[in-house]
Amino acid sequence: MEDLLKPDFGVLVLTVCNFLLLVYLLKKFAWGPVIGALEKREYQIESDKQTAQKARVDAEALKKELDDRLAQISSEAAQKMAQAVAAGQAQKDQLLAEANAQAQRLLAQAKAQIEAEKNKALADVRGEIANISLLAASRVLERQVKDSTAQQIVDQVLKEVEAK
Amino acid sequence: MDVAETISHHILDHDWGVVLGGVRIPVTTHSVTIFAVSVLLVLGLAWAARKHTSRGGKLVSVLLEEYVSFIRGGIVLPNMGVEGRSMLPYFCTLFLFILSVNLAGMIPEMKTATSNISVTAALALCSGGIILFSGLKYHGLWGFLKGFVPSGTPGWLVPLIFPLEVVSMVIKVCVLAIRLFANMLSGHMVLICLLLIIFIVGEMSKAAGAGALLPAMGLEIFMTCLELLVAFLQAYVFTLLTAIFAGSVIHTH
Repeated sequence: MEDLLKPDFGVLVLTVCNFLLLVYLLKKFAWGPVIGALEKREYQIESDKQTAQKARVDAEALKKELDDRLAQISSEAAQKMAQAVAAGQAQKDQLLAEANAQAQRLLAQAKAQIEAEKNKALADVRGEIANISLLAASRVLERQVKDSTAQQIVDQVLKEVEAK
Repeated sequence: MDVAETISHHILDHDWGVVLGGVRIPVTTHSVTIFAVSVLLVLGLAWAARKHTSRGGKLVSVLLEEYVSFIRGGIVLPNMGVEGRSMLPYFCTLFLFILSVNLAGMIPEMKTATSNISVTAALALCSGGIILFSGLKYHGLWGFLKGFVPSGTPGWLVPLIFPLEVVSMVIKVCVLAIRLFANMLSGHMVLICLLLIIFIVGEMSKAAGAGALLPAMGLEIFMTCLELLVAFLQAYVFTLLTAIFAGSVIHTH
């Protein structure tokens, strides 16, 4: 049983040679190709991942740019809308002012025309009244008076009429 | 019945007595087992790798890739870092070789070569070489030697610490050999002893021997399952510890 712990240097050396040769052969014929293929695939996956990451970053940048442009367009549209509303309001105010002015002008014109018509009518009425009064007076009195006296009488009558 | 003789016969290596030109060639049961396992591994794995590259066998490819990924991601990279990538083929071979030799002993008429101290010492020697190579490759001779002294050690302690650390590393490598040897040897010893119970009891009384048959066989089956587990476990432990020791000289404190 003591042989169990007695090293056999021949077996030891043979095992070392055998194992190192095995490592070499397996590296050449088995592990080398498998590890190579594995690392190549991992490199490919990593490369694809990086490409996808870059595409994602680009897409996010593009989206941000589009969002910014959209926001800018919205802001411009709102600004233009406000400008249009303001212009509309100004135009409305101007039209209203013009309409008011025209209405005032027409009103004044109408008033002046009415005043003129009234004065003309008053003058007509005054003349008519004078004629009628003369006729009435001459008929009532049935007497002849001097022209100057008659005129004085007429003026007095007219003053009384105006006073009324 | 000589129990010790029977156990020795089943466990000890047998020299086939090959002499060439007066020089003894170490053709023994264990060395032949190792050679046979190596040939099978080379042929089998070369075939599997060919299948893998030609994308012929999906199952073989997956198994091979999973195995390499397990050794790389589970043992080499966590303990040695990216510096260990160049040594991946060594670790892939080491684990599979120890496992195959361990399992070869479970096949009837074959021997467990890892229950031979010379074989485990040879494997530990190779691992020691890898540890030394790692240290020299990444730090040079001076840097490798400096790595044995932890940073911050007072100058007057260096003459004491340095030999201790060197001896500690040598012991660690020796323990690799002894651990594998002892585990595989003890498992087989227990298996043989359990079988011998039947014959020893049977010599005393045939009826008692027949009665001991079932319990002994039950225990034998249980121990065989345990041996299977130990075969995997020891291959893993040996490979993992080699990576840890190599990593410790690459990434010194």
